[in-house]
Amino acid sequence: MMQLLKKMASLRLSLAGMAALAVVAVAAAGRNGIDTAYAAIPIGVLIVNLLAALATNRSLRTQTGLLVFHVGLLLVFLLAGLTVLSRFDGHVEVVQGGEFAAQAVEIEEQGWLHSGRLDRVHFVQGPIRVDYLPGLRRGATRSAIEVANGGVGVEPLTIGDRDTAVLGGYRFAATFNKGFAVIVGWQGHDGRVQYGSIHFPSYPENDWNQRIDWTTPAGEALVLELQLGEPPIRPNETWTLGRTDLPFTLRVTGGSDAVLAAGESLAVAGGHVSVEALRLWMGYRVDYLPLLPWMLAAAFLAIGGLALHYRSHYLRLAKSAQRSHPVKGGMLDVTAA
Amino acid sequence: MSPLLERYAVMVAVALLATGTVAGLIPSTSDTTRHRIATGALAGVVAALGIAIAGRWLRESQGPFLTMYDVLLSNTFSLGLVFIVATGVSEVLRPTSRIVLPLLFGMGVWLTMVPAEAVPLPATFDNPWLWVHVLSGKVFLGLCLVCAAAAVMQLASPGDASEDGNAALWSMYFIAFMAHTVMLVAGAAWAHTAWGRFWSWDGLEVSTLLTWLLIGGTLHARVTFRTMQERVALGLVVGSFVLAFLTFFGLPFLSIGPHKGFV
Ligand code: HEM
Repeated sequence: MMQLLKKMASLRLSLAGMAALAVVAVAAAGRNGIDTAYAAIPIGVLIVNLLAALATNRSLRTQTGLLVFHVGLLLVFLLAGLTVLSRFDGHVEVVQGGEFAAQAVEIEEQGWLHSGRLDRVHFVQGPIRVDYLPGLRRGATRSAIEVANGGVGVEPLTIGDRDTAVLGGYRFAATFNKGFAVIVGWQGHDGRVQYGSIHFPSYPENDWNQRIDWTTPAGEALVLELQLGEPPIRPNETWTLGRTDLPFTLRVTGGSDAVLAAGESLAVAGGHVSVEALRLWMGYRVDYLPLLPWMLAAAFLAIGGLALHYRSHYLRLAKSAQRSHPVKGGMLDVTAA
Repeated sequence: MSPLLERYAVMVAVALLATGTVAGLIPSTSDTTRHRIATGALAGVVAALGIAIAGRWLRESQGPFLTMYDVLLSNTFSLGLVFIVATGVSEVLRPTSRIVLPLLFGMGVWLTMVPAEAVPLPATFDNPWLWVHVLSGKVFLGLCLVCAAAAVMQLASPGDASEDGNAALWSMYFIAFMAHTVMLVAGAAWAHTAWGRFWSWDGLEVSTLLTWLLIGGTLHARVTFRTMQERVALGLVVGSFVLAFLTFFGLPFLSIGPHKGFV
């Protein structure tokens, strides 16, 4: 048993594990890389190797700095693994005045162990303001939300470039993705009225193409184009995206054709579409990485270990070398060579 | 400070680097004289580039973090500064100025050839982790440069290597490893706050991870294979600097990754 443990603790295996991790990292780099899950193999080997070394290697156990560094490293590896298994990563668009809906979140990545609790998150999107500098450089983003406070009231929050909102453990971060939305009403032949928001392409990135395909609840495919009477975009000036009281019309093509202003409606197959109001929508990135602060702490523990090792090992080494060979010409006396 | 004055300051720095480089090549100068000239030239370079950076910072209301010009400007400054401090502390590494000065001269010339226009820093980039990341990165690169220069000199004439020179090299390399570790960790924390991803296996991150593994692996290998040829270990030190140099000055400008999310 001890023999096996000692074999597993081999320092050559550590080097092989590091080399294998490097190979996987290169292969996984970029968009066309291999699945990053393969990194689990070399990291798994390093974890086993390190655990075995912590159990058997005297040199590692007796040098406090090195011990702390490697324990920190081990924790980073383990926490990274747990993070991959428990993480959630997705994005969502929420319209001003509308409520966040968990089912609207598009999932990008979700760990096996992640148990979805997004439906416990409740907030209403408030006003959105994004500053632009000349040349369409994005400045500050401020997105106001109101979070339902356990039935007691609402708590106003602003999500910005540096401020995220952590709701129910999920972090909501504002993205560069945002644009105009039109609130439309739909009345089918059954007389029921429902309202929804139609999100146009990201603005001002796609200011030239504010068009979108939309299928009515009755199944008719239409093309909707948002026509802004006074587009807010000022390519060479400072301006702010935020106003929703702009004059606009909605151009409908692809079957039933018309140009509608706010308050107007159009008869289409199976019902009526009415144009209610102009709004903005905000794109959020939603992630759940509760172990990240611990990973950071483990990484700093490792760094602290390195500093300790430097003090107890290298500083002594350098001092004793200096004592036994006082500096004369320098490391290499080149003139003498 | 106007862009023209900034240009003059850069030119002064390049001229000083040229002078220092040429002075280092004169065979008859003693080590002490050569070190005095190198340190004097580099002190001038650090002052001139420090003024250029401060002037640019005030004018553009943002630090030199983004463009190739920014990165070359700030690193020529910081490499010079780290060299002065490192060889002030560790006298035995002073002769490395023979390699460091020509390299900085090359970077200075390169600096004069790239467009100097500032590009606004995306609002999300500006958070405290950026500072930790950038500062530790600069300390790392500076120390790694001194170590690589020392390694090249030992490889070129092994007979002249001294025990204290060797000890100085490896303990400085260990500090470089520490600084690199801080840079890596702060970079991940910064990426998480700036664009929501702490690690995304992009070219730059992978290249940084490779450098970290190479340095850590080299330190490890010296312990694992105690009889390892010193030549191999020194070669790995040089290799890690080359990789780091490519990561700092090559890769970021091949990918547009960090620049996405502008509009
Ligand atoms: C995962 C398996 C690993 C094991 C089993 C392991 C084991 C060890 C041991 C036993 C030592 C002490 C050697 C001695 O002083 O006799 C050591 C030193 C060291 N290890 Fe590791 N290690 C591992 C991973 C790593 C990694 C991934 C890195 C960083 C890339 C690393 C960096 C270092 C450094 C910098 C030293 C100090 C070397 C010196 O004093 O110059 N180790 N390791």
